[in-house]
Amino acid sequence: MTRHYNSETARLLGVIADEANKLPVSDRRDFLRKGVAMAGTAIAAATASGGALASNLPPNIPASNRSLGPGVVTNPYGQPSRFEGDVVRRTVPWLTANKISSISFSPLQELSGIITPNGLVFERYHAGVPTIDPSEHRLMIHGLVERPIVLTMDELMRFPSTSLIRFIECPANGGMEWRGAQMEALQFTHGMLSCCEWTGVPLSTLLQEVGAKPQGKWVLAEGADGAAMSRSIPIEKALDDTLVVFAQNGEALRPEQGYPVRLLNPGWEGNTSIKWLRRIEVGDKPWFHREETSKYTDLMPDGKARKFTWVQETNSVITSPCPEKPLRGRGRYELEGLAWSGRGRIKRVDVSFDGGVSWQQARLKGLVLPKALTRFSFEWSWKGNPALLQSRAIDETDYVQPTLTQLRQVRGVESIYHKNAIHTWKLAADGTVTNVQID
Amino acid sequence: MYRLTDRFNKSLLAGLLLVFLAAGLRAEPEGQKGAAQEPVQATQMGSTAAAAGLFQDIEERSLSFSHSLDPARAGYYGLGEAATPEMIAGWDIDVRPDGQGLPPGSGTAEIGEPLYEKKCAECHGVFGEGAGRWPKLAGNEPLVGGGRPEKTVGNYWPYASTLWDYIHRAMPFLQPQSLTDSEVYAITAYVLYLNEIIEYDWELNQDNLATIAMPNRDGFFMDPRPDTRNVACMEGCKDPDTIKITWDSTRLGVTPVEHLQQSRATPLPGSAPQSGDKVYRQACGLCHDSGLGGAPAIGDKAAWAGRIAQGRELLIEHAINGFQGETGVMPPKGGQAQLSSDAVSAAVDYMLGRVGEG
Repeated sequence: MTRHYNSETARLLGVIADEANKLPVSDRRDFLRKGVAMAGTAIAAATASGGALASNLPPNIPASNRSLGPGVVTNPYGQPSRFEGDVVRRTVPWLTANKISSISFSPLQELSGIITPNGLVFERYHAGVPTIDPSEHRLMIHGLVERPIVLTMDELMRFPSTSLIRFIECPANGGMEWRGAQMEALQFTHGMLSCCEWTGVPLSTLLQEVGAKPQGKWVLAEGADGAAMSRSIPIEKALDDTLVVFAQNGEALRPEQGYPVRLLNPGWEGNTSIKWLRRIEVGDKPWFHREETSKYTDLMPDGKARKFTWVQETNSVITSPCPEKPLRGRGRYELEGLAWSGRGRIKRVDVSFDGGVSWQQARLKGLVLPKALTRFSFEWSWKGNPALLQSRAIDETDYVQPTLTQLRQVRGVESIYHKNAIHTWKLAADGTVTNVQID
Repeated sequence: MYRLTDRFNKSLLAGLLLVFLAAGLRAEPEGQKGAAQEPVQATQMGSTAAAAGLFQDIEERSLSFSHSLDPARAGYYGLGEAATPEMIAGWDIDVRPDGQGLPPGSGTAEIGEPLYEKKCAECHGVFGEGAGRWPKLAGNEPLVGGGRPEKTVGNYWPYASTLWDYIHRAMPFLQPQSLTDSEVYAITAYVLYLNEIIEYDWELNQDNLATIAMPNRDGFFMDPRPDTRNVACMEGCKDPDTIKITWDSTRLGVTPVEHLQQSRATPLPGSAPQSGDKVYRQACGLCHDSGLGGAPAIGDKAAWAGRIAQGRELLIEHAINGFQGETGVMPPKGGQAQLSSDAVSAAVDYMLGRVGEG
């Protein structure tokens, strides 16, 4: 804490000196004397106690009312408040052999609304984040096309673009729990999931521009990373809503998300949305590359595996309360959660407090968009009783989110991917929340 | 995410698996419980799929699909440079099961063996058995039946072309796209040999690779989802007395939960200068923990002696800018370009400290 207040003091003194330099010499001495005294007061107040200061609480006037803060462009690119320091991506180290081919989780327990801030979007790399100078980046489009082209980023961005709010989810989200509950936090049970406003050029526009031939039924998308990550995508999807994205939430893509350009296949498993996109090839057959044969195929109990399991089916989870957000005493709460479907809009979400014996309809709040996170809400009064909390989403195709038992009956427990089962939180009488599975 | 399963194998106790299996046997289909549920219309699933624009059996259907691109509008925007055959040849690296994309070249397992041992065995094991949590490559145990084996080239991969394509595009892990085409043929042949798919001296080349029949070539089928039929029952959906908690995540204690107890006033990461050991863990440990890729292992005085003799400044310069040495390659900043030079220097000093040169 000492270091923090020292740096805070130094910053404050810097601000004062800055302001003083803009004053005539005659005024400067007086200003500085008062300013240093003011900074001293702030230090004294701050060091008086480690926690909330009584002197900052009513009826006292808080220190912030009696001092100045830093001026404009102190932080040319703004950062969250330092009091939000634990709102960060996290990983589970033992999931993967190393951090370069690995995954991190978004802190869903801390987010509001449906947009994931750019710095908190979950990460999935197969060979780490490449450093790409956009002036040296090219997007090649070739194969079964009339006029193969190479685009600079400037040229790509001259095509008419569109913006879509869409979720992106790793198909392994929740995949550690096919056999049993072992993740002790919402961030780890559901955090391979984020939702942004993505801006880019429809892939259909680019395929039209290059004159994709009628025999072209598939496109291969390939990344400029050390894995040259590649996936085959059917032309139906490519012409439907696939986007060649260069911006997220109003700014250029973050390096972690594919800077300077990535693919987005809305509603489909995240790995098909190739990041650091360098090449699109049109072909007449799929390529059956590593990420669509040895990985991202779903093994069934009979030893056969499903291939091209693209869609992220309807899913939901209660985000408050959750293991990270226990209840603090009895009384009224707003239960909240997120629902999403790779097939379209969320139509309805129900919640249960008794492990699925009875259900009540929750309210959808804010934007309800296709293939986007949708926030649901239910006001309730907790009387201190233990409960088994669940949410169940229904999408516009009338697909009802399944129970884990139903999923296991069809798919066994070996498929790793696409576990979209109704999730259960155990709420104890002391307000703590635990990840459990029930039968 | 295949490594998730790998860890999963190790993290869950066999006894707990038995508990689940026993529980699973007792379980009834959700739809059979409770009286308030409605029967699912037989047509519902089909119409759901149609409404959602799902592409069942798209691989087959797409052969007759006629999309609505207008050839007359090709080149409408006139943006971009024409991709020349030379440009395309340089970038077009993909290979398909029918052999399309394979460059001329050849190799045998015999030629591939020393290459594999030098460039691959460190992670994948001398016999393809996998080291630590790095992928296992060889093995023909059945995929189901209780043994829960890892998926390998032998028991899972449907096409030999995928092996060639992936080794060529992404391996060795630390130096992707550094192998010659013939080296890729030879290493591919060796991995196929480890899986008892080809003979040790059989020459693999661009003409015969697509003819290899992989053991699991018929092991895949198109995604049939939606494959569950839950109904939105509202009342009396279960007998409350039958509800059992089958799993409690806190029993295993395998996830990091320190942050659940942390104060909210934690300073943001990156606000203080990074310490050498922290940078080491973030950027260097992957190779220097074990000596992967010819890196001098941390604390290994013999491995470091020659390097130390060159002087700290040169080591730091190599760590920042990268270096190709006799035993291996040092990627610039360990491949973590976002690190500052000071951070890399601190990590070098940390490593020097660990061999008594601090």
